[in-house]
Amino acid sequence: MQTVKMVISGAVNSGKTEFIKTISEIEVVSTERRATDDTSKVKDKTTVAMDFGRIAIGNDLVLHLFGTPGQKRFDFMWEILSEGMLGLIILVDSTRPETFRETNRIIDFFVSYRDTPYVIAANKQDRPNAWSPDELRLALRQPPHVKVVPCVAVDRESVKSVLLDLLYTILERSNEEG
Amino acid sequence: MPLVGNIQDFGLSDFLYLVDRGYKTGCLYLNREHEQAILFFDKGRLIYASPHEHETLSEVLMRIGSISSPEAAQSMSPAQLQSALQPHVEEYVYTLFGWGDGEFLFEHGQKPNADAPILPTPIPVENLIMEGVRRIDEWGRIKDRIPSTDLIPRFLERPSEKAKGVKLSPEEWRVFARINGKDSLAAIAQSIGLSEFDVCRVVYGFLTAGLVEVVKRQRIQAETRSAAGSGSGLRRSLVSRIIARIEKM
Repeated sequence: MQTVKMVISGAVNSGKTEFIKTISEIEVVSTERRATDDTSKVKDKTTVAMDFGRIAIGNDLVLHLFGTPGQKRFDFMWEILSEGMLGLIILVDSTRPETFRETNRIIDFFVSYRDTPYVIAANKQDRPNAWSPDELRLALRQPPHVKVVPCVAVDRESVKSVLLDLLYTILERSNEEG
Repeated sequence: MPLVGNIQDFGLSDFLYLVDRGYKTGCLYLNREHEQAILFFDKGRLIYASPHEHETLSEVLMRIGSISSPEAAQSMSPAQLQSALQPHVEEYVYTLFGWGDGEFLFEHGQKPNADAPILPTPIPVENLIMEGVRRIDEWGRIKDRIPSTDLIPRFLERPSEKAKGVKLSPEEWRVFARINGKDSLAAIAQSIGLSEFDVCRVVYGFLTAGLVEVVKRQRIQAETRSAAGSGSGLRRSLVSRIIARIEKM
C-alpha cells in the first residue's frame, strides 16, 4: 500500500481540524487538549498534537492528511511532518488580520526548506468581516502564481475545491518539470 | 465590507503595500487612545492625510503657514498647492510609522469632501513606505521579517514596474548592487563594510516595498533539485489518480 501525505497548516484557530474532519473518510484522529497558553483566549480547546485524516484512493494508494499544531512551541514537529509531503495547504482565518503575520511565518517555514507546492485557503469566507482572497494575497505578500482560494472549512464542496486546487498546482508543476 | 484590524499585528507599511498593489480607493482611519489619522487613497495613491477629518484646504494651508487669509487658497495653482501640501502630508505620514499600536479601519470607495486638502497629484506610496521604514531602527520589528542574517536576499521573479519609481540612498544602492541571490545578508554586510544591522535595515525596506524576498539557502538548493525534475512522471500519475478520486467524492 502506497501512502501519499498532504499537510494542512495555519495559525491557531484557522480551521485545520474542521478542514480535515470535513473530508476525511475516517473519524479524525485528533489529540486535542485544553490549551494552557494564550491560545485559550481564542479557542477553548486547541490542537496540541496533530490531526490525522485519511482518504482511500484505491486498493494500493491512500492519501493521508496531517494537520499541524498551531502554536509556536510545536514548531519542531513541522519539519518532521513536512518530510516527503506531496503538497501543503495553508489555512488562514480571513476574519483575523492579527494572525496574518503568524501565517506568513508558517509559510516561510515550510517553503524555505523545500520547494513545496502549496495553496492558501482563505477560510471563514462565510463570515461578514472576512477579507477577500485578493486582499489576503496582498496582505500575505504572495506572488500572483500562488493560488489564494476561498474556503469554508465546514463545507465539503469547499474543502474538495481547495484540495483540487492544490492537486492541479502539483500537476502543473510536474508538467513543467517534464 | 471595511477592512479592520490593529497596526500592531498588521503594520502601516503592510497596509500601504496592500493599498498600493490592490489599487485601492478609500479611506484609512487610524485610532489610538486620543489620536486619530485619516488617509484617503485614489487607485492606490495617497491624496490626503490629516489628523483632522473635516479640515478644509484653506484651514490646512493657514495652519502650515502657506497662506495668511482663507481667500488666498483660491488663487493658488495646482503646482503651488502640491509643493505646499506634499511635504506636509509626507512628514505627517512618516510620523504614523512610529505608531506601535492602534486600530485601523479601511472603508472602500470613500472619498474626501470637495473642500478637503486633496493633493492635485497623488503621491505613490512605495516611496512613503521606503522613507517610513528608513526611520524604523528597532531590531524587533526588523527581525520579525528577517530573523537571521544567514538568509539570502534575492529580487522577486516578477519585479514590479513600481520598483522603477523607488528612490534609493547611496547606502541602499550599495546593498542593492550586492544582491545576487547567492550571498547571505551577513556576507553582503562583510563585503561592503556595513554592520549586519544596517544591511538588515536596508533590506527590510526593500522587502516592505516589495522589491526583494529573503530565502534560506536550503530553499535555493531545493529549487535547483526540483528544476532537475526527478520523479515527476511517477508523481503525475499519482496526482491524477487522487484528483479523479476527490472529484467523485
